[in-house]
Amino acid sequence: MSNTAKYRNDFLKEVEANVEEGEWVKMCMQCGVCAGSCPLGNAWEHTPQKIFMMIRAGKRDEVLSSDAMWMCTSCYNCIVRCPREVPITHIMHGLAHYAKRLGLVPANQPTAKFAQLFWNNLSKRGRINELTLGLGLYFMNGFVEGIKTSIKMQSLGLNMIKTGRMNVMEIFGGHSVKDTSGFHAMLQKAEEIEATRIK
Amino acid sequence: MTEVVATNQTILVVGGGISGMTAALEAAECGKQVILLEKNPSLGGRVSQLYKYFPKLCMPTCGMEINLRRIKANPNVRVLTLAEVTQVSGTTGNYQVKVKLSPRYVNSNCTACGACADAVTAEFPNEYNYGLNNRKGAYLPFFMAYPQRYVLDPKIIGTADADKAQAACHCGAIDLDMQTEEMDLQIGSIIWATGWQPFDADKIQPYGHDRFANVITSVEMERMMDPMGPTGGRLVRPSDGQEAKNVAFIQCAGSRDRNYLKHCSRICCMATLKQTTYLREQFGDAGRATVYYIDIRAIDRFENFYQKVMKDDNIKFIKSKVANVIENKENNNPILRGVNTEGYHRYADEYDLVVLAVGMQPSVDFKSLGIDIVVNDNGFIEQNPHNGGMFAAGCASDALDVNRAVQNATASSLRAIQVINQVAGAEG
Amino acid sequence: MADKKIAAYICQGCGLGERLDTAQLAKIAKSEGKAAIAKQHEFLCNANGVQMIQNDIDNEGVTHVVLGACSRRAKTDAFNFQNIALMRANLREGVIWVRPDDEDNRETTQEMADDYIRMACAEAKFVDIPESSNEQGLNRTVMVVGGGVTGMTAALETAKAGYNAILVEKTGALGGMAAKLYKSIPQSAPYSTPADSGVADLIAQVNSNDRITVHLNATLNKTSGAPGRFAADIRIESGATFTEQFGAIIQASGFKPYDARKLPEFSFGKTPDVVDQLGLEALAQAANGAPIKRPSDGKEVKSVVFIQCAGQRSEKQGHLSYCSGHCCSTSIKQAMYFKQANPDTDAMVVYTDLRTPGAGGEDFYRNGQQQGITFTKGEARTVTINDGNLTVKFKDLILNEDVDMDTDLVVLATGMMPNSGVDIEATPAKLDENCKDCSNDEKSGAVAPVIQESVLNLDYRQGLDLPQLVTGFTDSHFICFPYETRRTGIYTAGPVRRPMDMLQAQDDACGAAMKAIQVIENSSKGLAAHPRVGDLSFPRFRKEGCTQCKRCTVECPFGAINEDEQGYPQFNESRCRRCGTCMGACPVRVISFANYSIDSVGQQIKAVDMPDEYSEKPRILVLACENDAYPALDMAGMNREQYSAFVRIIPVRCLGSVNTIWITDALNSGYDGIILMGCKKGDDYQCHFVKGSELAHIRMSKIDDTLTTLNLEPARVATYEVAITDMHRVPQLINDMAATVLRCGMSPFKF
Repeated sequence: MSNTAKYRNDFLKEVEANVEEGEWVKMCMQCGVCAGSCPLGNAWEHTPQKIFMMIRAGKRDEVLSSDAMWMCTSCYNCIVRCPREVPITHIMHGLAHYAKRLGLVPANQPTAKFAQLFWNNLSKRGRINELTLGLGLYFMNGFVEGIKTSIKMQSLGLNMIKTGRMNVMEIFGGHSVKDTSGFHAMLQKAEEIEATRIK
Repeated sequence: MTEVVATNQTILVVGGGISGMTAALEAAECGKQVILLEKNPSLGGRVSQLYKYFPKLCMPTCGMEINLRRIKANPNVRVLTLAEVTQVSGTTGNYQVKVKLSPRYVNSNCTACGACADAVTAEFPNEYNYGLNNRKGAYLPFFMAYPQRYVLDPKIIGTADADKAQAACHCGAIDLDMQTEEMDLQIGSIIWATGWQPFDADKIQPYGHDRFANVITSVEMERMMDPMGPTGGRLVRPSDGQEAKNVAFIQCAGSRDRNYLKHCSRICCMATLKQTTYLREQFGDAGRATVYYIDIRAIDRFENFYQKVMKDDNIKFIKSKVANVIENKENNNPILRGVNTEGYHRYADEYDLVVLAVGMQPSVDFKSLGIDIVVNDNGFIEQNPHNGGMFAAGCASDALDVNRAVQNATASSLRAIQVINQVAGAEG
Repeated sequence: MADKKIAAYICQGCGLGERLDTAQLAKIAKSEGKAAIAKQHEFLCNANGVQMIQNDIDNEGVTHVVLGACSRRAKTDAFNFQNIALMRANLREGVIWVRPDDEDNRETTQEMADDYIRMACAEAKFVDIPESSNEQGLNRTVMVVGGGVTGMTAALETAKAGYNAILVEKTGALGGMAAKLYKSIPQSAPYSTPADSGVADLIAQVNSNDRITVHLNATLNKTSGAPGRFAADIRIESGATFTEQFGAIIQASGFKPYDARKLPEFSFGKTPDVVDQLGLEALAQAANGAPIKRPSDGKEVKSVVFIQCAGQRSEKQGHLSYCSGHCCSTSIKQAMYFKQANPDTDAMVVYTDLRTPGAGGEDFYRNGQQQGITFTKGEARTVTINDGNLTVKFKDLILNEDVDMDTDLVVLATGMMPNSGVDIEATPAKLDENCKDCSNDEKSGAVAPVIQESVLNLDYRQGLDLPQLVTGFTDSHFICFPYETRRTGIYTAGPVRRPMDMLQAQDDACGAAMKAIQVIENSSKGLAAHPRVGDLSFPRFRKEGCTQCKRCTVECPFGAINEDEQGYPQFNESRCRRCGTCMGACPVRVISFANYSIDSVGQQIKAVDMPDEYSEKPRILVLACENDAYPALDMAGMNREQYSAFVRIIPVRCLGSVNTIWITDALNSGYDGIILMGCKKGDDYQCHFVKGSELAHIRMSKIDDTLTTLNLEPARVATYEVAITDMHRVPQLINDMAATVLRCGMSPFKF
């Protein structure tokens, strides 16, 4: 496979301009301590250090459609150990966010789906509705899967209800922040700012 | 009182390692008066604790023997051990230096016969061997120690051991009433040859030096290999004393890392390449080494050494900064975890022993000592006109290998002589 | 000089009094050793004991002191007598500490001590106190060869110390390679941006310094003399020659860049858009801060690739095997040229190991990344020209894939090659092997290989220039004593000694200046240079016996001995390091030192009491290098390791000083075994006199003939490489020889 015209800095510059903490990508020295320190490392196609190299190599599509950055659980092991103090966790989230904006997230990427569910749930009332979020998650991959998962998770749900962690009445809308319209206005403004910041 | 004559044409060299000895000798052999201070009981410094030098795989004590002979033969060098600088004032060509001399409790009558050591019982961690074994409370730091004179550990003073040592000495060499002395020296130029210390490996939490017996440092490995060292020259696992035949080396342990030392310590790559040859030397075909590195920095003819090591099938190189070390509870084997970044290969490799190639940091914090000298972010002395008649030699100036430390010390010697000759010229 | 008067002092301290019959030792010193005075003392090294000896020196006219006490390495501060000859019979580390303290061994232990007293007294009889030869000169001017940064720094530092310097530069201008640089690698914090090289300032300082004389377009036509009294014929452009006198030489002849045309795979020479690092400096100088233009079409460079290790760190034919050290930092510096002129330029470094060691180096690397230079761990394969553009083919080692990348300009980080002159040790075979870039014609001898031009043109028997390492850089004692070249008073500095950057070269120049003024001071007093600093002895030579065999002149490791027209050796005292290799080489034994001679050792060998063939008391002679083997034996004693009581050990200056007559004499006088202990030889030599140990091994390989003639087993003579740490091994070697002797039986030559 030929990579002609690659290894130029166009994509690196794009990342620096559009991705949170993206200006740190160039500081990586390819030691790989992040890759080794990631508790979910086995589940990744590309480690952070490799993602950074791919950015430098100009592999735009591969990077942005990778599911690697969606796998980050924000444990911060990599940041703690990085000898260059590269904010790896933030960059990974930044990349995920950028890929999402560009619509390049791989279809059926579960973390991406969950993130969308979470956001949809949260942005409605400013508070998370545990019940609808949980059910949404269970039924994410279709009705049959949802029933199966719900049965499997039954006792957890019951226990949460018992200990007052979840309210069944939440199914009817649930609680919200005090000033819902103010909250929405705030989100609106944030989105506007974001849109001007990112090309 | 210790009598020392010094004038503003005297050069003070602080630190009696190879850089300090070199700086002192080069000036003294040029006819200059030199005072050589060492805070330990013996000259020799860090290199005297090494088994071999790279790239020639020769013995550090071999060069030290020559340097000691030069010192013994040269009346221009005055050696003061157990001595530390406490204050420096004045300017180029006219420094006033306060020196603290700690008591040795043994005078010049000592013949190094060893009777005092035989007589005492209490033991203390042996600093010469980085605490890998114990020494007595009356001791000769090592066989090559100079002055060749025993020392009493201050901790035995006032105990029965001190009296036993005194009773055992037939030479009248033990003086339990020795006190700390202060000296004021008039000095023309000062050479700081205060050297380096290994980075404290315990601080690198993921590697478990403080938790796992079979994770040691590169400097500890040097002591083990020394035939006069704590294991009599055998490379063994601290956990069970078994031979350590399959050894991993972790490079940049504390170096090139903003969490620890920001700088590259320069010597660790070559030190590790050298140490990989120890495995072959000790175990023949059964000796195996794996080196985990970021960049192998083997410049100059060191590269040829690297090439030679790479040809050995028993020695492997993996480009990876190791993520962490865990211990196999059954056999105390360390297990290294990380990713080989060439391609993408996750590993969890088990070894008999892990050696951390620890970094170099300056021994002395000049700022806290209140000495007016320009120091960079890494704590090393920079060459700067502001320093006047004070110069760094060796690892006080940068992380250097022995060759470059000696080169630098020789240069510093000339710089000091330039100051002295200007003073002499001015005084006609 | 006053008449020789020997006094022997036997110490009873440290257990010597209990373990040995010291009265008998004193008696032997008097009766056999012919000591005028023989005294015992309970504690010789204390003030009282030392005073006793000093009194005898002052009042009794004692000139030669024999101490029967501890090792010559111990209590040196106490036994520090001026203007007398001192022999040390090592009764402590060499006798009582290596022998068991029991009744069974009392007799053999005492015999050891008896012999060491006999030996020390015998030595005293044949030792004189050395005096200087009065052939010294004192010229306090330093000759610096090479007008680059190293040479100019050396001259300035020399001048600053109050000495004069002559600077000889073969081109028409000072500045050397550094003058060709646009900027240099920063030398101080924060190591963030290319710095002014400071060359113009250096040149101005040199030109305005009253102590420095500069000769441009000048070369050394012939250099002769010795430290303190060198002279050189200097030829200038016009062809005229004049002579300069000076006391020491600093060779700062620098380096030349590797010829990148030897790397056709990178298209160097096929397009002007592939340059080496010096080529890039020229482009940067031309641009002078503006964006750098591509040579082929004058367009601004938008993308540049730096290929590290081009033609170096490689065992391929014609490549350099070593790493030139500075090139990683230089590429970062050059990439910064592009980034600082236009941050949008893509600058990528393809490397296998990024080598920016030390405190400043890592900062510089980090700053390079900060400025947007990208680094790819990869192996560059080829550079090809496509339609006026360049394609770099490399393997990305991280992503593990082969890449073709288009770029505007390629910079090859090629290596440094030292200007070290003629390889005086090159044999025809070696020349052939080294000449990897020669065509087959050249190898077959059809075309003569390129002859290196000499830098120093030394009028030395041993060749025109300094000996070299296999890599072509000048040889020195590399680690502990980096300035100790193999030509006394000639110090190399800068990239001729080893690859280095400017900062290191300036330090190096300063160190070399130190050594140069030091050798001037010492040679003027007749004092030896390193490692026998201060030694006043020098080789004396009895011309009547000399057969002009030239072995001494050929074997001298330091090139100290010339030959006159008739082939007689001409010793140059201040070029001599006093190792005694010439003495060891001489088949007719006409070379000696006042305090070290064929007799001073030979008579010790003969002084040993030789029990008869039926005594079951064999005698083993050990000749041990005083630098490493002897300390190892001492430490064996300090560690109370035991070895055979039949051994008699004599320290020698260097194994190279061992004359085979000592071996044949020892065999003829009944020794049963002989061991030579010297330092490691070969490329990684540890011998402080470089060649001594190697020569001894060669000489001893020929001793078999002697043994065969005497009908003795070859196993009776052994030569070993011994390290100073061989504390456990040396007793073993001795005991092995004792076992060998037991197996072979007693020597039949005991009379």
